[in-house]
Amino acid sequence: MSIGGSDLDRAITQLRACRPIPENQVRELCYKARELLIEEGNVVGVDAPVTICGDIHGQFHDLMELFRVGGDVPDTNYLFMGDFVDRGFYSLESFLLLLCLKVRYPDRITLIRGNHESRQITTVYGFYDECLRKYGSANVWRYCCEVFDYLALGALVTGAATTLDPTDGPIAENVNCELPDSDMDIEIETLNANGEIMFRYARNGDSQSSAASQANSNPASSSPIGPTPSRSGAAGTGATSSANGSTRNDTGAILCVHGGLSPLIDSIDKIRLLDRKQEVPHEGAMCDLLWSDPDEIDGWGLSPRGAGFLFGADIVKCFNYKNDLSLIARAHQLVMEGFKEMFDSTIVTVWSAPNYCYRCGNVAAILELGEDGSNAGYQRRSNGDRGGGGGGWILGSNAGPNGTNDENRRLSSVLGDSMQKPRDGPGRRYRVFEAAPQDSRGMPAKKPVADYFL
Amino acid sequence: MSTLNGAPVDTTAPGHADTSITKDGFKITTRKLPILKAGPIDDMTIKLGIAPPEMIFGDNFMRIEHKPSGWHIEFNAFDALDRVDKTGDSMLKVSYSKEWQQNSSDPARQKQFEDIKEVVKPFDWSYSTDYKGSTPDTPALQPTDNPIPLALLKRPDPIHFFEDVMLYEDELADNGIAMYSCKIRVMPARLLLLGRFFMRLDHVLFRIRDTRVFVEFATGEIIREYTAREEEYETVRKTLAGTREDVLATMRDPNRLAEFIPVVEKSSDRVVLK
Repeated sequence: MSIGGSDLDRAITQLRACRPIPENQVRELCYKARELLIEEGNVVGVDAPVTICGDIHGQFHDLMELFRVGGDVPDTNYLFMGDFVDRGFYSLESFLLLLCLKVRYPDRITLIRGNHESRQITTVYGFYDECLRKYGSANVWRYCCEVFDYLALGALVTGAATTLDPTDGPIAENVNCELPDSDMDIEIETLNANGEIMFRYARNGDSQSSAASQANSNPASSSPIGPTPSRSGAAGTGATSSANGSTRNDTGAILCVHGGLSPLIDSIDKIRLLDRKQEVPHEGAMCDLLWSDPDEIDGWGLSPRGAGFLFGADIVKCFNYKNDLSLIARAHQLVMEGFKEMFDSTIVTVWSAPNYCYRCGNVAAILELGEDGSNAGYQRRSNGDRGGGGGGWILGSNAGPNGTNDENRRLSSVLGDSMQKPRDGPGRRYRVFEAAPQDSRGMPAKKPVADYFL
Repeated sequence: MSTLNGAPVDTTAPGHADTSITKDGFKITTRKLPILKAGPIDDMTIKLGIAPPEMIFGDNFMRIEHKPSGWHIEFNAFDALDRVDKTGDSMLKVSYSKEWQQNSSDPARQKQFEDIKEVVKPFDWSYSTDYKGSTPDTPALQPTDNPIPLALLKRPDPIHFFEDVMLYEDELADNGIAMYSCKIRVMPARLLLLGRFFMRLDHVLFRIRDTRVFVEFATGEIIREYTAREEEYETVRKTLAGTREDVLATMRDPNRLAEFIPVVEKSSDRVVLK
């Protein structure tokens, strides 16, 4: 049988109810997904608006909560940064649902690879056992692993707005700081699962953005309930222009990758040249992209574990400048607050598995990037790296509505540029949510059973 | 239902208040809260001098106190982690470390390692600890040969209080697991507490370090036993392969693993409270 059209919709309905689909349908689905993914480049081009999500780890009911909070597919565009499987009890249902949605709405959902999308890791951390338990054989696990090999390694989001349209929602309880006026340039907004405003931060409209970003690099300020940093500088000088899509103030692209950077990769084009269609190797650029972590160090460092890299603020800032990025979004590390901005907001960790492993008590977050009105100047040339050679993006006419044809630096064209002030980050709306209510989790709620341990 | 690592699944959201029970002057208290937020993690990093584990339950504890004598024993994450080697002298390497660092087929990679030699902040990232609980200086526990009376603990006496508390857990960057957890059961006449460090570094090593605290309420006798087990991964895997056990499942469960891993260190001490 073939899975398509109404069959696909039926499979989606069944998976949404957290019921696995038959093995032959999984085989068909995985085949279709591979045909689709093979056409994607290592770095998928994605247009804003898009909602960026971190690790899911088989927490199916929390994925449903994510869709409730962030909007359903295809109404909301999603980008998932890997680690769909392992740890949780419903890796199978979670991954197959995401894959069905990908096949059904290929332009609405982007899936990139995490370090858990690997044969070796899934045999140790649960997904293999789960497939065996639910189907009685490893076939489904094998089909899924073949899909893993075709997942893209990263995504490049373009056309994101520099400022947010402020949410016209109520203020959440327990917010005891003053929110900036909604007519200012809103750079960051944090909302709870009910859409209530927990935190709002206005961009310093002038070139002194470092003061603002310093305040923002304070750990407390990336907390959903963090204090509002003081507004310094001329408030709102850029506010009106950005509403019109000013070219002066436009944001660079946003690179999304599961882990982080690699010392072997100094440009996005180098990611495009990798041969990704394989099991995640134990070393090399592909491995680094899925495994490395930012850390408060200078330059590059070796992890004490003897494998894996750590990278500091200077590495991120240099990479972003060279590649005309305003932000790197990554996942991979658990953060209690659901997200954590580092290095003057040049990189953010997004974590989307609330109460991780059903016992950490952390909240989860998703990151919404809005659409910049002036995006029409960009054309997508090729989504594949076969024959495409260099960058998948070219600069079209980017004249802003006010007529200034500012030759903006884009991707590889930046190399010869003199150092200028870093790109303003995109407007960032974080939606923070907790684990799905117990009664919808399908697990018996009980206290740990007393046992006669010795 | 239990998780992969034999840890309890707390389907009631974490964050309930302290629970406690008092028996014959012994007060038992446990606290179970979510992992620490970014601010407290930064504070702990400075105080400890090492990066805390990925899942750090820094507010949690399990405590037995005897008001009349002022004696107590407490298990908490900070004190357990404070005993982790912070110098890097006893650092383990993940199984593919050599392969990762010496891929001579790739000149770019070689060059890169010449440039990046520095291991950032070396310490025992397996978070191995010989923590036996925090106790006051007096009254002090003294070495003993008296074993914990297992026969009394094997009786199916009613359990009046049971709790398990996680202190920390780290996935060793998906190279295994390190965790410190505590369990306690209180029966009408006695209690048993088990503090356990469990570490599996895939394809390298297993460690189980158990601290058992036994309290006989009527006599005020406390016996504490520390048992460290350790074996190479491959040895354990081979042993398990020769049994009817499900090898992978067993390697995730310290309760089932213990019998396959030899004891490398054992000590006991004791105090009788008045």
